[in-house]
Amino acid sequence: MVVGIGYGYESKCQTCLDPNSNGIRNMIQIIVLGVISHGKKADSFISENITSVHKYSPLEWLGYFDQEDDVSIPGSNDVFHVYMAGSEGPVVFCLHGGGYSGLSFALSASKIKEKARVVAMDLRGHGKSSTENDLCLSIETLCNDVLAVLKTMYGDSPPAIVLVGHSMGGSVAIHVAAKKAIPSLAGMMVVDVVEVLLFSGRVVAMERFYNRNSNLVEWSVKGGSLRNIESARLSIPSTLKYDDSKNCYIYRTQLEETEQYWRGWYEGLSEKFLSCPVPKILLLAGTDRLDRSLTIGQMQGKFQMVVVRHTGHAIQEDVPDEFATLVLNFISRNRIGPHGIEVGSLAYMKDTCCLQIYAGGEPASNNWR
Amino acid sequence: MDPVPSKSNGHLDEQISQLMQCKPLSEQEVRALCEKAKEILMEESNVQPVKSPVTICGDIHGQFHDLAELFQIGGKCPDTNYLFMGDYVDRGYYSVETVTLLVALKVRYSQRITILRGNHESRQITQVYGFYDECLRKYGNANVWKIFTDLFDYFPLTALVESEIFCLHGGLSPSIETLDNIRNFDRVQEVPHEGPMCDLLWSDPDDRCGWGISPRGAGYTFGQDISEQFNHTNNLNLIARAHQLVMEGYNWGHEQKVVTIFSAPNYCYRCGNMASILEVDDCKGHTFIQFEPAPRRGEPDVTRRTPDYFL
Repeated sequence: MVVGIGYGYESKCQTCLDPNSNGIRNMIQIIVLGVISHGKKADSFISENITSVHKYSPLEWLGYFDQEDDVSIPGSNDVFHVYMAGSEGPVVFCLHGGGYSGLSFALSASKIKEKARVVAMDLRGHGKSSTENDLCLSIETLCNDVLAVLKTMYGDSPPAIVLVGHSMGGSVAIHVAAKKAIPSLAGMMVVDVVEVLLFSGRVVAMERFYNRNSNLVEWSVKGGSLRNIESARLSIPSTLKYDDSKNCYIYRTQLEETEQYWRGWYEGLSEKFLSCPVPKILLLAGTDRLDRSLTIGQMQGKFQMVVVRHTGHAIQEDVPDEFATLVLNFISRNRIGPHGIEVGSLAYMKDTCCLQIYAGGEPASNNWR
Repeated sequence: MDPVPSKSNGHLDEQISQLMQCKPLSEQEVRALCEKAKEILMEESNVQPVKSPVTICGDIHGQFHDLAELFQIGGKCPDTNYLFMGDYVDRGYYSVETVTLLVALKVRYSQRITILRGNHESRQITQVYGFYDECLRKYGNANVWKIFTDLFDYFPLTALVESEIFCLHGGLSPSIETLDNIRNFDRVQEVPHEGPMCDLLWSDPDDRCGWGISPRGAGYTFGQDISEQFNHTNNLNLIARAHQLVMEGYNWGHEQKVVTIFSAPNYCYRCGNMASILEVDDCKGHTFIQFEPAPRRGEPDVTRRTPDYFL
């Protein structure tokens, strides 16, 4: 039986799983059912469903992504694992949330790749990446990692890049974009990251349950995790690893050791987001999580906001088809081609010669405040 | 003359005074009211002519107490003529009372008040931003939401004050050159995702020339050259529009060819902005009146801190 399971993506709960071979499968089952059987007692749903062997068995990434690769950063011992899909269009560069891995985007990648290239990296301390210091998850380090991977992969002439970041990865996307260090950056999608409001909620929730160890299962039930079994089977195994000394599975990412960096992920994020000079779209699971600056920014039409209903925190995993459609529509609406924003005439305009068309980004100056 | 017979006016007057106290009508009353409103609104033009004097107002967003304050400051309807440029619902806590009051005033004083459609007067948007949930909460079912969103399809899209001030919620569209273009299309439908009707409700003026892709994901941005051309073509002096929060409540743009008016003070109970209305007098003179949030009880003040319910 499984004892004391805690699963929260940004959780302090580092606990062991059953050492038997069902470990990962049970974990997937619990993470998925944790939401589906909301309100049921944890013990009962584990025993009831422990028989469903195949339903929750791990899935391979192949068939969703086309290939994987290890990107060695010159001048360091850092090696970042990337998954890739697609062969044309701009590069949709995906950054997962804290505790997840690049495979969090596997299902959506399989659809996005029809019209764009997808690259999803395992961030430092996550998935199959290995670095000199897996615990240094400061925002500066994470940003530099992303820039180093892009530089190593594409040299000095990168293709048009749309940064997509979920949760902690969204914060990384915003910081990378705000540095203005990628000349070919053509757009940014941020998924369910809204600074202090959301984050403080999570920290408090974590601590509350952390203090009552016996309730860790309850936390995973109510904490909200994945609702899409197929995605869970793909992504969850990459967030765990087998610990020989403890003879059980533990989380790959020791998030509880990185608490000193959390504030840096989220502080001043709204202002940074608004300052990024590219077309921006914010995806939220639920509404009214905007702070003052984002509310003003949204009400002044500075960015696109889409509220995706009936999903949990990991929108790209819970509703991958809808997520992929949103990514592709964002690319097409902003006319992002393989080499950047394609300036052209508007399809239904009668007289384009006298009209100057520009695309996206911030106004040159702004007096609408 | 007002088309409603005097007997029902008595009843309607009672409903209006009930609504002025922020008390919603029953579902049955809403249904009857909206049927009358539909008859009136369907006769109005896509470019509804309006006479001065008139007071032009921007977004309200369910901030009922601020709407009451607006009537205090601007004068009661029908003593003052009003033109509202949309976005009555969503975000604030009293969308039901707000939109019911405005529709009731429209039915009672149809020649004294004009209510245009905003991008939030739509089935899709109201399901995300609060009006739908508020209807469920206050009536126990979605019938009232259905009745209102069906009525929204009939709201006129634009108005023209004394043939000089073109009023609408959002802004211009690359597929509209003349007011006749607007007069000619069928507006009775859900706000589409693209095309001229969508643009009128979603577009924003911008400092850059020409047309731009709107960062909002719908509509366009339009530069001063576009506004000048449109005003010239249609013999207009001014485009008055709402849709964007402006910290002072109003904001001139495009060398006074465009003005933005926003009438929800401290928007979303957190933005700290002023609200304003624009009085256009008999001689077509313009006066902006700014106002601050009305004092109220029972609404959260989240201006300075994050709300507790997230903790």
